Amino acid sequence: MKRRLGLAVLLMLSAALRCRSASPPGKPVLIGCRSPEKETFTCWWEPGFNGGLPTRHRLFYEKEGSEEVHECPDYWSAGKNSCFFGKEQTSIWVEYSLTVVAFNALGNTSSDLFKIDDVMKIVKPYTPENVTVLVNDTANTPYLCVSWNHPPKVDTKSGWTTIKYELRVQKEDNKPEIFHPNKKNSFKVYNVDPGATYTVDMRCQLDQSSWSEWSTASVVKIPNYFQNEKPFWILVSIFSVIPLLATICIVVLKRKFVKQWLLPPVPGPKIRGVDVQLLKSGRAEDVINALIGNQNFPPAAAWMDQTEEYLLVSDSNDWLLTDPYISQKKKSLVIPAGVQLEIQCRTSAPAQSDCENAEVGKDGKVEPDHLAQTKESVLNVAAPSVSSGSKEAASGNAAGPTGYVGIQQHKGTQGAGPNAAQWDYSWVKEVNGETIFILKNEDAAAGWTVPGWEENTAADYSRVKEVNGDDVVLLQKHDSADSSCKKKEDRSAEWTNQKAKSRHGSDCGKGACLQIAGNGYVDSVPRFYVE
Amino acid sequence: MFQLKSWPQFVLLPLAAGVCAVWVGMVCLVFCSRLSGMKAASICGNAQAECHFLSLANLFDRVIQHSARMHGISNDLHSEFELYFLPSKNQVSRVGRNCHTSNILTPNGKENAQRIEREELTEVIMKLLAAWRDPLWHFHQSVARNHRFNGYGSNKSLEMSDMAHELRKGVQKVVEKMQTLGVISNSVGGLASPEALLAADGSGWRFMKDSDLLYCFRRDSNKIQNYLKILKCRIVPEHGC
Repeated sequence: MKRRLGLAVLLMLSAALRCRSASPPGKPVLIGCRSPEKETFTCWWEPGFNGGLPTRHRLFYEKEGSEEVHECPDYWSAGKNSCFFGKEQTSIWVEYSLTVVAFNALGNTSSDLFKIDDVMKIVKPYTPENVTVLVNDTANTPYLCVSWNHPPKVDTKSGWTTIKYELRVQKEDNKPEIFHPNKKNSFKVYNVDPGATYTVDMRCQLDQSSWSEWSTASVVKIPNYFQNEKPFWILVSIFSVIPLLATICIVVLKRKFVKQWLLPPVPGPKIRGVDVQLLKSGRAEDVINALIGNQNFPPAAAWMDQTEEYLLVSDSNDWLLTDPYISQKKKSLVIPAGVQLEIQCRTSAPAQSDCENAEVGKDGKVEPDHLAQTKESVLNVAAPSVSSGSKEAASGNAAGPTGYVGIQQHKGTQGAGPNAAQWDYSWVKEVNGETIFILKNEDAAAGWTVPGWEENTAADYSRVKEVNGDDVVLLQKHDSADSSCKKKEDRSAEWTNQKAKSRHGSDCGKGACLQIAGNGYVDSVPRFYVE
Repeated sequence: MFQLKSWPQFVLLPLAAGVCAVWVGMVCLVFCSRLSGMKAASICGNAQAECHFLSLANLFDRVIQHSARMHGISNDLHSEFELYFLPSKNQVSRVGRNCHTSNILTPNGKENAQRIEREELTEVIMKLLAAWRDPLWHFHQSVARNHRFNGYGSNKSLEMSDMAHELRKGVQKVVEKMQTLGVISNSVGGLASPEALLAADGSGWRFMKDSDLLYCFRRDSNKIQNYLKILKCRIVPEHGC
């Protein structure tokens, strides 16, 4: 009996004890919800004290606009104490009200109401996948090439979500740099320093939602190019220093030579054959003798008032070039300023006697030879040259000096029109070597009666168009109404000086020259035939 | 011989005139050819479908950008309103919040939006935009009158109202373009059905609280933006989807 009472008391005590430790479950707390791709979402809660009894949690939710209470469709996909809402149960732009209720044997406890205004507000994507960083070192400018994939489960094709990425690059312990790539899958970071270590990670965002977590960081080290190339640069510097030193040594050792080469001394004044010392210290007579005695002055020639020379007139290149007789001569015409010579044509080649030869005889008369008319009429006036040594040759010249010379006296201005000039005609009296003696006007009367001339009182004169330089005298074609001239309209002549053989080719071609411009005349009729 | 001075005037003048005329003619030719070339480049023949679709995608991009901006402004305004006027979120009762556009059936998910017809989706967008024209305008008026917001808020409300108006016109253009191209049928009513709807539900929004109005508009602007993106990627998927 007593034993049975004791047992009963014990049982009641134990029962009483057990009843005091169990309780209804504690209040669970909804921690939060998250939608990774805007199509599904998951909610988690934290269970309270379970009250010593096995507790079961259930989630109930209500959607906006409907009083119907639904229970969580999936308690297991997202892990413990979670509720996963699939695509069918997820409605965007709809308010959700969630409650978690804990059940145990003794009762149940509800959590506080948890409201989701809009699923858009709880969107938070996963991190971008496969973030890889490569170092590209093209052309010594290294850069980082970062590539990634979109976060898992996100639909990027239908336009439902717009993903925005953020890339963070941190150099060693500096402040990180943030980039926002525009491309979907890759990005290049250019401002990287060789030899430095970089930490790169990424995160993303859907449609202005919350940012995802940072991806796992990739650490890269840029190889130090300068280090690799150091020996090269050392070699280069050594090889460039050696020639430099050599150059400096040479310059220093041969500085005099270098100085002379760089800065050549300016030669002082020096007269050949004269001793500078003599000039400095010598007596006056010595100095003068030294100075003057050194010079070789040419002997003073007797200058006439007007020096004239023979001019070789030809209208044929070949004649000038081939004629050996002429080529021996050195003729030059010296025309004093203010005197314009009109020189008649004279042939000097006896073989080609186009012109009528006129030989000035002793009496100053010119006897023209009748010339046969040939195609190439050659007019040649042999002019005496200034240089010595041709005196004898001149006299032996078959082409004697012309008989008639027209001298235009320029009065005053040189540029006066030809009509303004007065023409003085005078006979060449005598050619004495290098000089032409001209008859004065008083004697001209006699000179006018040169045989062969009477019939041509109105002699044909050709005007000298221009004196081209000092070597060429261009005659003008006779255009006047003179009857005698008309016959010889085609006369053309080219006056050249033998010296100016090379310059023979003037503007005028063969026999194409003469244009009368109203200058003085040159007698062309009896002396030469021109074509 | 070649000295121009020596040439007589009666030769020079016509010559100069001729040269000028030739030069002017050449310049004109060059310009005309360039213009015609440019014209040819800008005119897309009706046979070139690619040309048309490209411009439709461009139109879509613009309206999507516009709607994104509008949603951003509405979001800012709503946040500011909650910050200043509703410090305690607990006061929000879920019964009270009832948007006047609730009776417009809108797809609530990606699948739904992809499942319904293009015309229907376009209609939804147009209805939403039409439904918010007057409420936004009145909201701006009340804000400006009562000085409830600071200057920033007042400017934003006006901007929001204008943007909604412009977006509506822009979407109408897109619809017209789509109808021209034959992408969607002509059954999409331009202004008739939204106006009718508005008339039917005309006064519902007048009794909304400002906070509710902002909340509702923020949500609807987000809907519009998403629907436009879905529509674009359904019609012109090759251009940036």
